[in-house]
Amino acid sequence: MSDFLYFFTFQDSSIAFVVIGITLLGIGSAYVGTYSFLDKKALLGDAISHAVLPGICLGFMLAGEKNPIYIVTGAFLSGALATFLTSWLKSNTRLSDDAIIASILSIFFGFGVVLLTVIQKSGNPEMAGLNQFIFGNAIAILEEDLYIYGGLAILIIITLTAFRKEFSMLVFNADFGKSIGYPMGAIRLVFNVLMILAVVIGIQAIGVVLMAALLIAPGAAARFWTDKLGKLLLIAGAFSAVSGILGTYVSFVIPQMPTGPWVVVFLSLFAFASFLFAPKKGVLSRFIARKYYLKKTHQDHLLKLIYHGLESGKNSFPIEEIYESFPYRKRQTKHTIDELLKTDLLTLNQGLIDFTSKGKSEAKRIVRLHRLWELYLNEYMNIAPDHVHDSAEKLEHILTPELEALLENRLNYPKLDPHQEAIPRDNDEL
Amino acid sequence: MIINVDSPVLEIHDLTVSYDQSPVLWNVDLSLPAGKLIGILGPNGAGKSTLIKAVMGLIPITGGYVKLFDRELNEVRSRISYVPQRESVDWNFPASVLDVVMMGTYGKLGLFRRPGKKEKKIAMDCLEKVGMQAFVDRQISELSGGQQQRVFIARALAQEADLYLMDEPFAGVDMATETAIFQLLQEMTAAGKTVIVVHHDIHSAMNYFDWIIMLNLHLVASGPKAQVVTEELLRKTYGGKLNLLTKVTDIIRQKDFNPLKS
Repeated sequence: MSDFLYFFTFQDSSIAFVVIGITLLGIGSAYVGTYSFLDKKALLGDAISHAVLPGICLGFMLAGEKNPIYIVTGAFLSGALATFLTSWLKSNTRLSDDAIIASILSIFFGFGVVLLTVIQKSGNPEMAGLNQFIFGNAIAILEEDLYIYGGLAILIIITLTAFRKEFSMLVFNADFGKSIGYPMGAIRLVFNVLMILAVVIGIQAIGVVLMAALLIAPGAAARFWTDKLGKLLLIAGAFSAVSGILGTYVSFVIPQMPTGPWVVVFLSLFAFASFLFAPKKGVLSRFIARKYYLKKTHQDHLLKLIYHGLESGKNSFPIEEIYESFPYRKRQTKHTIDELLKTDLLTLNQGLIDFTSKGKSEAKRIVRLHRLWELYLNEYMNIAPDHVHDSAEKLEHILTPELEALLENRLNYPKLDPHQEAIPRDNDEL
Repeated sequence: MIINVDSPVLEIHDLTVSYDQSPVLWNVDLSLPAGKLIGILGPNGAGKSTLIKAVMGLIPITGGYVKLFDRELNEVRSRISYVPQRESVDWNFPASVLDVVMMGTYGKLGLFRRPGKKEKKIAMDCLEKVGMQAFVDRQISELSGGQQQRVFIARALAQEADLYLMDEPFAGVDMATETAIFQLLQEMTAAGKTVIVVHHDIHSAMNYFDWIIMLNLHLVASGPKAQVVTEELLRKTYGGKLNLLTKVTDIIRQKDFNPLKS
């Protein structure tokens, strides 16, 4: 607890710096990553983040120490080379995208690991810090590094905000942009530079192996919550920043704990929670919607059953007969009858079920939709009368009042369905 | 039968286009009059979309040149509007109908500047013209095929151009939308605009267009409907593959370089 308070009250100014840095970094990479996720180029981010490792090592070898300028420049150049090679190979060979990305990723990363081993064998006392670039360590970031990483993050955020309309067009419809004379090639170049920069600023805190997660996961998680670009960017930025801060906290509390994996753990929690609980698109809300729909169809079928009984001359319906009509589903049927009684569609009197007037008109509506649809299939699609029932059985639950009006109009308010049964209207006597 | 006109809106001179190795358009040479509704017809793979993409500079050309209003494309871009195929974009992109239509104003707006009230007004007016004003705040992922096409046409109208190049605006739309779009295009040509439409259905083409271009890897015909719609030319356009031309294309594809490229 005291660790928690110490960390989150920012008594230590270096912690405040780290938190500011990781927040900026998180927002910046989530912004870039959301665009590349929408552009379906998620894998490119992964390739770039692995491909910066040889640049980091070369920068270290040239400087002889962990100099942020050398390392950032090396990482940027190596990321840029990987990006350039990716598009060059694409236009000059017949290799598929995934083959190109996989090769670039593994070749660059392999080369980087070789360089890293060489540096470790050299016995340079500074090399301890270099391992952190694999999985990241936010706490070890020095204040002077933070100015560089934070500054670059702000540059990314400002550029993306200022050119939002251009980048949106690049992702949505680049051909149209080209047709109105926008330099789409240059805009793509700027975007790629921003993407490489986002990777470069994340390598110290998150590490090259997991940086791609910070690019892609926030946008992918946020996509469950909204269909608006502005909101999408905000939510992605928030997910990313919060995960970044929590990951940093864990690596502050537990010594020797790398930051990157923990940031990814928290990001995954956000993504998983979005996948499960987001309204409309989440698994849970789709599950509930389906449950609700099944319940509704059972109610509809029950009302229809009673209606058919009354239609064939019965005066009332014993409840036991309803149970028998839905064998093996007695519990569900009982539940549905209770619901219908509660919503005032049915009455129950001494074991006999009857409609209320509200229930009768609802039952008529369902039967009407069923029979109208059967007639439509028969008349307009030339489907034989003995083939129309199954389709109507499903569509009676979903046809809207507008479609009902359209069907009535198209069929000219018919009296009988293809089986010569009456199509009931609200004022008709049963 | 290729009929040329004086002071054409669009002049295509000896245009050859190849994708990678394979030539898809051979020596297309035509000129088109202003104020007409013009249809580009041809079978699948005839190079119809390729032709208008080449005109818009979206794909490199192997030989020949294109002139619009007797100028280079870059000098007259603001007077030209291009409507890509509806399927060429991802409609799941998080944008509203208004966002997409407003893109039509970006050409005049220029880089960096953000659209404001004036641009929104133009976009709203254009949405009204295609009967989509009620959908202004709708997300584009929720639109039907016909509505998507109307949004694309509204975006083109927002460009306030003189020449419109539309790639399959009638593909996959319902009858009501097809009629509405056709009426709109007629109004545009009546107002002096030129509209060039890539179209796949011959039967409706006979009703829709004033001027018809028939294409099948090479130019078969270009001229007023009454003069070019003959059984012979239709057979030449649609009647089977051009075996010889296809064989030549195959030979070129097997080479390591494209001999048509200078």
